[in-house]
Amino acid sequence: MSLGLLIAIIVVIVGLTTIIIWFIFHPREAKPKKKNAIEDLTDKAKDDVEHIFNDDFREELRNRGRLHFEKIIGENAMFLQQDLRLTTSQLNEFMRSEITHVLKEEFSKYEQSINDAKQLAIDSIQKTQDTIEQQRELLTGQLNEQLKAEKSRSLSRFESHMADIVNHYVLEAVGEQIDLSEQLDFILSQMERNKQAIIEDIKNGA
Amino acid sequence: MNPLTLPVTVVSPTDIARLLREIESIDNFFRQSAIRQSGTPNALPRLSKLMDSFVTNNQLNLLQEEDRQKISQLLSELHSSAPVLHVSFSVDPPGPYIQKIVAWLRNNISPYVLVTVGLQPNIGAGCVVRTTNKLFDFSLREYFDEKRGFFIDKLHTAITESDSGAENQVVEAPVQIKSSVQDRVTK
Repeated sequence: MSLGLLIAIIVVIVGLTTIIIWFIFHPREAKPKKKNAIEDLTDKAKDDVEHIFNDDFREELRNRGRLHFEKIIGENAMFLQQDLRLTTSQLNEFMRSEITHVLKEEFSKYEQSINDAKQLAIDSIQKTQDTIEQQRELLTGQLNEQLKAEKSRSLSRFESHMADIVNHYVLEAVGEQIDLSEQLDFILSQMERNKQAIIEDIKNGA
Repeated sequence: MNPLTLPVTVVSPTDIARLLREIESIDNFFRQSAIRQSGTPNALPRLSKLMDSFVTNNQLNLLQEEDRQKISQLLSELHSSAPVLHVSFSVDPPGPYIQKIVAWLRNNISPYVLVTVGLQPNIGAGCVVRTTNKLFDFSLREYFDEKRGFFIDKLHTAITESDSGAENQVVEAPVQIKSSVQDRVTK
């Protein structure tokens, strides 16, 4: 039951109660007196009425009306209480179901948005990973090429100066142990091998 | 009559020039002695070791003008046209060491060859002989240069072995990066 229906019931009950009270405490006005006999009869009836409906009788009627009104009020209050309890429980159930429904919808939307964000992040990370992989391959290729070029350059330089380098290392290692007297045989043997060339150059020299 | 020879102590053109100046001074002394007045003091110039050895080896008498002329003539010729070899060593060689080389040169190349000594510390061991038109490298550096192919082969072998080790390390790195990214995506 909705809140509007409850309010309508309460308004109806309050209206009925107001009408009953109004009828009880505001009796109908006497009809206008007729002229002559009729007026006399009317006056007599009025007197009798005043006689019959005296203050005690009116008081009795008031008491009865009050009791009846209290009874009606009590019954209506009981009904109203029951309706209120029922309405409250229905309202609680309705609110619970509505809140649950709304929460479920919100949670589903929230979950959906989280899934979308997650998917977006995964796609972004995947793209980043692909880009990094491409960059890495590119850099690896360039690095390898530069490494090969540098290696070949260093190697060619090293090869071109091989004799000097080996000579340097040998001198660093055993330079102090090389004695001139030990080299004399080597020098003389080398001169012996190139003896003819030296003689010819001396003879033909300027 | 035997031709005049140079002792091994006479090594360089500088020695020849020194001997030439000395023989000229001796010759001048005797010329002055011939025209000097009696009673005038006259001191004989002192002979150097080089001149002494030169005269002794050739069995000459400096008192004889003919011998002095021979010496002067020979030294003048040597000073102007003697074959000169320039020999460079890694360190400064001692005198006797040079004399051994000079003795070999005069026995095998020319009896009047002269030697100038140079210094090249970068040759390591051996020597470099430079004649008038040629250069003979008898150094350790030249020996290593002749063995260049052997050293290059050894170098290539060493580099190839080191490259195979380095490539294995390079290949493993991307796998680790990829797995770490994959773990992050899964989480």
